[in-house]
Amino acid sequence: MSTEFTSVALGHTASLRDNKPGWFARRGLQAAIFLGVVALAAVPQFADAYYVSLGIPFMAYAVALLGFNLLFGYGGLLSFGHALFLALGAYASAMSARHFGLTSIEGMLLCAVGVSLLVALPIAFVASRFVGIFFGMLTLSFGMLFYSFLNKFYHLTGGDSGMNVPQPTLLGRSYAATGKMEFLTGPFYYYCLVLLALGVLVMWGIVRSPYGLHLQAARDNEVKASYLGVKTRQVRGVAFLISAVYGAVGGVILGVNTGLADPELAYWTHSGHLVFMAVLGGFQQFLGPVVGAFVFILLQDELQAVTQYWRFFLGIVLAALVIGMPGGILGTVRALWNRWRKR
Amino acid sequence: MSLIGILMAGVFHAAALFLLTSGLQLVFGVQRIVNLACGSLYALGAYVGISFTTWALAQGLPVPMFPLALLAAGLVVGLIGLPLERLISTIYKRPESFQLLLTFSLILVFQDVLRFFWGANPQQLANVAMHYGSVSLWGAQMPAYNVFVILLAIATAVGLGWFLGRTTLGKMLRATAENREASAAMGVNVRMVYLLVFTLGTTLSTVGGAMVVPTAAVSLQIGVDLVVEAFAVIVIGGLGSMKGAAAGALIVGLIRAAALVLYPEVEVLATYVIVLAVLVFKPSGLFGKAAV
Amino acid sequence: MTSTQQTPLLEAQGVGKSYGQFIALEGVDLRLNQGEFVSLVGPNGAGKTTLVNVLTGFVPPTHGRVHFMGRDIRGSNSVELSTRGLARAFQLVNVFPDLTVRDTLTVAACSQLGLRWRLFGDARSHRAAAEVVRATAAAFRLEGALDIVASSLPHGKRKLLDVASAFALRPKVVLLDEPTAGVSTADKHGVMEALLVAAREMKVGAILLIEHDMDLVRRYSSRIVAMQGGRKIADQPTDDFFSNEEILSVVVGKLETTA
Repeated sequence: MSTEFTSVALGHTASLRDNKPGWFARRGLQAAIFLGVVALAAVPQFADAYYVSLGIPFMAYAVALLGFNLLFGYGGLLSFGHALFLALGAYASAMSARHFGLTSIEGMLLCAVGVSLLVALPIAFVASRFVGIFFGMLTLSFGMLFYSFLNKFYHLTGGDSGMNVPQPTLLGRSYAATGKMEFLTGPFYYYCLVLLALGVLVMWGIVRSPYGLHLQAARDNEVKASYLGVKTRQVRGVAFLISAVYGAVGGVILGVNTGLADPELAYWTHSGHLVFMAVLGGFQQFLGPVVGAFVFILLQDELQAVTQYWRFFLGIVLAALVIGMPGGILGTVRALWNRWRKR
Repeated sequence: MSLIGILMAGVFHAAALFLLTSGLQLVFGVQRIVNLACGSLYALGAYVGISFTTWALAQGLPVPMFPLALLAAGLVVGLIGLPLERLISTIYKRPESFQLLLTFSLILVFQDVLRFFWGANPQQLANVAMHYGSVSLWGAQMPAYNVFVILLAIATAVGLGWFLGRTTLGKMLRATAENREASAAMGVNVRMVYLLVFTLGTTLSTVGGAMVVPTAAVSLQIGVDLVVEAFAVIVIGGLGSMKGAAAGALIVGLIRAAALVLYPEVEVLATYVIVLAVLVFKPSGLFGKAAV
Repeated sequence: MTSTQQTPLLEAQGVGKSYGQFIALEGVDLRLNQGEFVSLVGPNGAGKTTLVNVLTGFVPPTHGRVHFMGRDIRGSNSVELSTRGLARAFQLVNVFPDLTVRDTLTVAACSQLGLRWRLFGDARSHRAAAEVVRATAAAFRLEGALDIVASSLPHGKRKLLDVASAFALRPKVVLLDEPTAGVSTADKHGVMEALLVAAREMKVGAILLIEHDMDLVRRYSSRIVAMQGGRKIADQPTDDFFSNEEILSVVVGKLETTA
């Protein structure tokens, strides 16, 4: 990773990074997380069922993105194949139901986490040797490989029709009696919210831990890091594994939401969406990608209603962000806040 | 299909891959940029090639001249490299991931542009491919046009080799690739060089797409499918090396042809087993010089 | 500082390094003992940096061996060596642009304390790590800059940080490549003082540094090793070195003519 990662991107010194232990940085973020959770919990009480139902994919992507950004924002590794793990999570849910008879969400989650680690281990072993272009293209290739695997081995995966993901039990309780919509906008919504909150807390712990610091050091200056005792390759490998697990959890949520594990989940544009969400929200901020997921879900919903050419607009906006506003939404907000504070 | 048949099909696919990846390697060698949208450019060349040639034939162009129409289409569309380079130049000084993000956004944009103008169904140039008939080589049949494409790829390889090795301009490019600051200090107009190289790279891709389209249909998927294959080529051959592009293209082309005939399900997988082996044992590839 | 008779902390025996036809080092013997502050002097191209590269395992020698704490370093990489206590700072400033001074020092502290696989708990609040950070920052007078991001620091402070982070590993041996290069004359003494203070505070066993300024060398080192053309041409305690007219004229003379 080159030496001017964030500083040049933001155009000025990065005193607004969240590893600066100011009162605001710590308390502010905790407050934001708390308020966010409260707000999300309140949504089903006030909003239209349609918007509540959008909340599920939002939470799925938010979880997946927390993992993605460990790799990208904190590790400096841009993966174009992260959707592989989303698909893996969905398919693991379907398969755990079909082959192991597990119809509890806990069973599906366990299965998804297990499978994702199994798949991620060999990939991480190879990919952790590389950074930059090679890493990006390697992950893109793995994602597409998985996609073609899902399509071709139809006797195993259902081919392009995908596999069914049944409505799971939550904490042992079956909601078969409730309608699908009620299930999704009610108990499942809150279950996912808890998963998201847990995911956020765990990831926050990880990025602030000694491991997280080593990861950031490896990102900023690989050579110097190794001279300070950072095991750069292993550190990157572990980040990949963690991101895979988060991706798989997101995939389970998506699978249950649609009731279907679809090979399109692994398609490259899906990985592209993840990248877009991270950049949109601001990949240099802890909650940036979560914000990005939120805005993207709303935007995509609006866009898709208007035009079938939403990829075009997505591409334009991404290009504009990369060139003009690399800090994303949160990054820009933070820069403005700091500028205002200095007056 | 016989062994010779597989060989011929493989070499043909290799020719297409070479045209695509030679542009990639050139741009990377000089500018240190990997254009993820190279596959989309290839597709663009193919689509425009189809439209232009169809129109030209309808206007009375004699059928045997169709390759010229394709070539013309490919060359003209390649000029899109000029504004693209200007766009990408805005992030030259930024870290690598920005370059990946930007060229990735181009893939998204191109995808829908292509869909808008040509629709979601695969397109092909009907009836012209067999115009030159088939040739029989060592017992295998192959459209004469395919042989022409293979020869074109070889000619391009030779031409590029001559250009880079013997002409002043070529030497300037190589100097800039070696050491940008030194070249600039010696009066090389680096901006112009970058513009030229990028456009040349783009043109190689668009011409490749246009010339190959008669015997291969084009669809919206090809853009990304080709990036995946191009990556295999440059890993095996070595990033930044023209010889690598040729060697890698040959290997990938042959593997793919063999897999398609023998065991279609593992087509892409077979290539990637080789890619992984290379990455584990010799990451710089066969001819690579750039340390990864 | 006086040298003592015991196993040297770092030892090079008959070290040679060639790059094809070019011989960068030839037959170099060097011993670094507990308590020593050795300056490595010589004109540009004498092989000083190459020697340090070989001593730190950055580059393998073509001939000879290097032993650190009695063990051959062959086959060990920089991560292992730095964890074992062999630290180094480069000539060109090498920092983490987006990490604060505190974070940079914490990275080193966490490595040394074996915390690298801890995935929970704030790294900055870890008591032992924070203590190392505090001590190192104090020794190098970087306390005021602890929360400043490295890329915002002026060059001199960045250089200090680069060196300080090596010290935060609580290494047994530190090798420095021109730590006062690019630092204003007024500050050079400050840097050297900081090195001495830090070495004492962090209980560093020995320091080897490449230095061009003979005044600094004379004032702060306990021993001087001079190189030229890839060979060692002198290896004397400071006082002996500077009172030996013959060696001095040869070394300084050579230094002056090639300066």
